[in-house]
Amino acid sequence: MSLLAAIRKLWHSVVPRSHGDVEEEFRSTLDAYQEDLVRQGLSEEEARRKARIDLGQPTAQNETYRAAIGLRLFDELGGDIHYGLRALRRNPGFAAVAVLSLALGIGATTAMFSLIYAVLLHPFPYAGADRIMNAHVIDAQHPDQFSWFTLSEAELDDLRLAAPVDSALGFNNSHLEITGGALPEDIWGIYVTENAGAFFGVRPLLGRNIEPSDADNGGHSVVVLNYRFWRSYFGGDPHVIGRTLDIDHAPYTIIGVMPRSFAFSDTTGVGDVYLPASLMRAVANVPAPSYLPWIKLRPQVTVAAANAALEPILREIKKQHSGVSAWHLGLQPIIVPYEETGRTLTLLLAGVVLLLIIGCANCSILLLARGRTRQHELAIRSAIGASRWRIVRQLLVEAVVISCTGAVLGVAASYWLARLPLLLSPDSFPAESFIRINTSILVFSVALALLCGILFGLVPALRLSRRDSAHMLPGRQIGVVAAPAKHRWSVLIATQVALTLLLMATAGTAIRSFLQLMQMPLGYDPSNVMKIGISLHVHDPGEWGRLQTREARTAYIEQIREKIASIPGVSTVAVSLYATPPDADVQSSFIVDGSGDGEPPQARVMLVGQRYFAALRIPLLHGRIWNTDENTRGDFIAVVNRAFATRYLSSSNALNRQLRIPGLTSKNHYQVASSQSTAWRQIIGVVGDARNDGVDRPVVPAIYLPYTAVMQPYAQFLVRTQGDPLTYLHSIRAAIASVASDQQISTSGFNRTFTLNEAIERDAQYSRQRLFSILFSVFSAMALALALVGIFSVVAYSVAQRTTEFGVRLALGAPRAHVLWVAARIALVSAAAGIVTGLASDSFLGAVLAHWMQSAFAAVSLFAAAALLALGALLACLLPACHAIAVPPAEALRYE
Amino acid sequence: MTKPVELPQGTLEMLILKAVSLGPLHGYGILLRIQQISGERLEILQGSFYTAIYRLESRGWIKGEWSVSENNRRARFYSLTAAGTRQLKAETAKWIDMAAVVAGILGKKADEI
Repeated sequence: MSLLAAIRKLWHSVVPRSHGDVEEEFRSTLDAYQEDLVRQGLSEEEARRKARIDLGQPTAQNETYRAAIGLRLFDELGGDIHYGLRALRRNPGFAAVAVLSLALGIGATTAMFSLIYAVLLHPFPYAGADRIMNAHVIDAQHPDQFSWFTLSEAELDDLRLAAPVDSALGFNNSHLEITGGALPEDIWGIYVTENAGAFFGVRPLLGRNIEPSDADNGGHSVVVLNYRFWRSYFGGDPHVIGRTLDIDHAPYTIIGVMPRSFAFSDTTGVGDVYLPASLMRAVANVPAPSYLPWIKLRPQVTVAAANAALEPILREIKKQHSGVSAWHLGLQPIIVPYEETGRTLTLLLAGVVLLLIIGCANCSILLLARGRTRQHELAIRSAIGASRWRIVRQLLVEAVVISCTGAVLGVAASYWLARLPLLLSPDSFPAESFIRINTSILVFSVALALLCGILFGLVPALRLSRRDSAHMLPGRQIGVVAAPAKHRWSVLIATQVALTLLLMATAGTAIRSFLQLMQMPLGYDPSNVMKIGISLHVHDPGEWGRLQTREARTAYIEQIREKIASIPGVSTVAVSLYATPPDADVQSSFIVDGSGDGEPPQARVMLVGQRYFAALRIPLLHGRIWNTDENTRGDFIAVVNRAFATRYLSSSNALNRQLRIPGLTSKNHYQVASSQSTAWRQIIGVVGDARNDGVDRPVVPAIYLPYTAVMQPYAQFLVRTQGDPLTYLHSIRAAIASVASDQQISTSGFNRTFTLNEAIERDAQYSRQRLFSILFSVFSAMALALALVGIFSVVAYSVAQRTTEFGVRLALGAPRAHVLWVAARIALVSAAAGIVTGLASDSFLGAVLAHWMQSAFAAVSLFAAAALLALGALLACLLPACHAIAVPPAEALRYE
Repeated sequence: MTKPVELPQGTLEMLILKAVSLGPLHGYGILLRIQQISGERLEILQGSFYTAIYRLESRGWIKGEWSVSENNRRARFYSLTAAGTRQLKAETAKWIDMAAVVAGILGKKADEI
């Protein structure tokens, strides 16, 4: 058929001739034929009769017409759908349970799919995002320890020339302050090298990106805004381009606003504003800025090849800094930190697919159970000529009507369901990912709905449309007829129960491992401790002038510390720089006395005040903590943790050994190091291990030094209070203001205020495991409910059908217990079979799951789940079965 | 009256096209004309007749218009469209070809092979 003809056919099928038109034409033919017959000598009445016999009834003609032009299938399907909807309306209880069973499954599956779509398939808005790499240096001796490294501008240029590199971006995060308003406001700024616009390839929402020309003349004072910052600070003002923003007492012209999906950077935190890197030297007075690199590889370059090609270049660069040799380069696609989340999501997707299968099985069971009451109707249809295919089709259409209704509800629900994991575990997902319902997700859910409809509709449809059901026609099953074996029910129920058990056991395992994580000793006490950050006003010449020296700065910080400590209810206040558990400060190389010339080992260097250990309740194992005088001096002493002592000082007594940190110098003019900061330090104490590499990872060796060794332009206070620390926030603000009225406490960036319990909750592994336990508990609760509803409805339907039989049994003297057993037998046996199958397959699947979940099924959780399921199944069987014996025999006999 | 002939599958549509190609006709007129041309030898199944007309119209080979018949009755008159003319030509050629081949085969005698 040509295209034109196809279009014409489509046109005719959309706008067919009207009913009246077809009938009128046919009537005119009928009349003409009739007149001819009269002319041939038939009587008027005979002619009329013969015409109708030969040509047919005018009223039926329209049907012939629609069948001829190929509309019949549509008409019949329309009729089936209409009939299906009517059947659902007639049985609201059945409809609600069936639709809800599917809506749960489809909603959860769609939500999970859209999450996976957002997180794994399209997480970043950047051009060639899959080729963008984070660069790590991996310690050759401890490959699990890797660290970021920074590069200077010249080194970055060297890197850009390398063969596998398409382009490289350098960025540096900085704590900035918006000035010019009534109160200074802290923001998080990211200086990016001026190739940023081309590197990201993201079209700005307003204005333009940072471009290479912005580097001219020492850098233009321009700023690009992050979407959220633009919304919160400028209220989403569309005319913001060209206005000025005062940052650190200097005016900046706003040149662009990035779209919502752009939330650079995942590595170090999302910036509020983006600035040209050249400004670092010119305005921020950093003589030799260093950048974290993002490297975009050329297409078709493998990570391994790039590592091999770039490592010599990097080695050359690094040689100039120190004699480091035992490391290698580890490029990592920027998605990798979230792959763990991806694995979690895949497992969750498997969970929801199980839920969906259980929902489908439930619908099948319901349809089968209800089908028994419909056999009469179907037998009539079959008897008056409906083909088996026609009946199967009608039953399938009814199933699809149910599944589509379920899908509509499910997709609506998925909109909220998909946000749940993001709420429960925000830091496990790329900042850029936000959930949209898009075409591919909609196609996915529609396909899913149709598949489900066919999946759960097919078994009952084939079963109910069997020709032999025609023998049901003469009369309904009246009297005592032993129910035929219901193999399909049994199989479906057993499958459902086994799958539910699988889900429940997974949930149990997830909860167990989460509980284990929660009970894991932290080595410190996070309860009632809050961290408060302050930044010194480095760009306020008057104030900054006063705080230039180490002594002045120490005095200033200690003064604030004492003020906070004097607030009633505050028990301990300690100063720390970045050392906020469960994470800690940067990795640095150190040298222990008596060690060879080999590669200097690395440890976390934590700059803290002497009260840090008391505030966090980290126990002192040997020796002592430094005192106030030593704290002010900052030199010659150090405290290490147990991990450090075990790994590096195992051969002798840790105390009185000496160590030295060559890199402990001031890196820019905001920092002031003590005169002997890199000199030998005596180890005066060993403290217990407190988590410093995340909640779930082993404690890494750490060196604690007085924070005055290298003073930063910021500080953090760890405040232990009696009761909820956040309730003290107001008095703490007042205490700080009493020292310096314009000293703000940080509210954004990583320095912002929160409690240490919150810090644990934000830990990726912790929140992931919590997400896992919560979601799997919800899934298994849903699955349990569905399975029990399935069992319940089977027993209830069969009891309703066999009321007469039970009446006769009771009347003939059968014990009630026996009748109860007969009523519940099939469902109970299939549930038991399901539990046994579930237990058997779970122990097999346990090995598979261990790979994914890092912990196998524990027998405890498996048997607890099985017991709970068995109890539920028993109740679901007995409740409707009791109905069978509750009916008085005489009434039961009258039932039909 | 000679012996009636049964129509092979699908040929009714071809005959309708031919009948209409001689001039616009209403449904009953088409029926009469086919019978008339065939010398009353074709017994057309009434039921399939309109099905064929509807199908031809929906394919765009004939088009129907309401008009007044010879005995002053409103009737729907069908005429051949351009596509219909092409179709009739193609079908006719195909039919004659096929008939010739079949007749050729059936007409062969043993000594001719």
